[in-house]
Amino acid sequence: MPPRKPGTLLPLETEILDVALSMLRSGHATFHGFGIAQSMREQRESRSLTAHGTLYKALARLEDFGFLSSRWEDAAAADGRPRRRLYELTSRGANIAEQARAGRAAGRHPRPASKPA
Amino acid sequence: MSPERTAELVERWVRHYTRELPTPIAERRVEEMAADLNDHIAHERERETSDLRITLSILSRMARGLPADVSWRRRINPPKGNPMKRFVTIVAMALGVIIGVAAMVFGGADDAPGLVLIGIMLVVGTLAFGLSPALRSRSRVVGIILGAVVVWIAVVGVAGWLENNF
Repeated sequence: MPPRKPGTLLPLETEILDVALSMLRSGHATFHGFGIAQSMREQRESRSLTAHGTLYKALARLEDFGFLSSRWEDAAAADGRPRRRLYELTSRGANIAEQARAGRAAGRHPRPASKPA
Repeated sequence: MSPERTAELVERWVRHYTRELPTPIAERRVEEMAADLNDHIAHERERETSDLRITLSILSRMARGLPADVSWRRRINPPKGNPMKRFVTIVAMALGVIIGVAAMVFGGADDAPGLVLIGIMLVVGTLAFGLSPALRSRSRVVGIILGAVVVWIAVVGVAGWLENNF
């Protein structure tokens, strides 16, 4: 992963927001860790899934920036399997994802509007 | 190794790098990883992926994420201690080792066994003093390895000195 320029999002973080926006528009408001890794794999037509450490660190940072919110899945919905952490794109996150899409052609990196919460 | 055993291995690694972190943060990461591993195996089984490929995929995800795991832990739980103190300790250790090695080299060249012995003692003493925090730390494996290195240097140095002088 390339080093982070101050105030910019990493490509992986932008990709997560982009995929989350696509999922939101297709009617899936929430997603979980493996789900977003799988969606990103499909989108980039890659054979490998994003690494555990890289993925969850990026999700945590996006949550710190206020671009994602998260909560635990209801135990009843988990139906015996380990409960998932469900993430949701915030309105700020959706705006950043839109900006990233618009700016991708120009090669610009989106900048968070403020410091992490 | 089956995918389930591999998942257990990953979960052990997660519990290791989340040790001594604030409980809510550690529990969240442990539970989130348990769900991820479960979903990963279930998804691949549904696609009739072979167990070997699932195992390799899980191991690959763990291995590629190790640096991020470590940096995440360091961000949440920065290493304790004064950075200036660590820097001074490292400089003092480097000086001690350089002076000790120089004494051993010059002592050998001038046929001065006393100077060689002083050099050996200086190197061993410097390493023992500088590495003592690690030797006392909870990271017993690191402590044992460092301790073994110090003992090895001492034994080799003293044995060489004895061999050359007696």
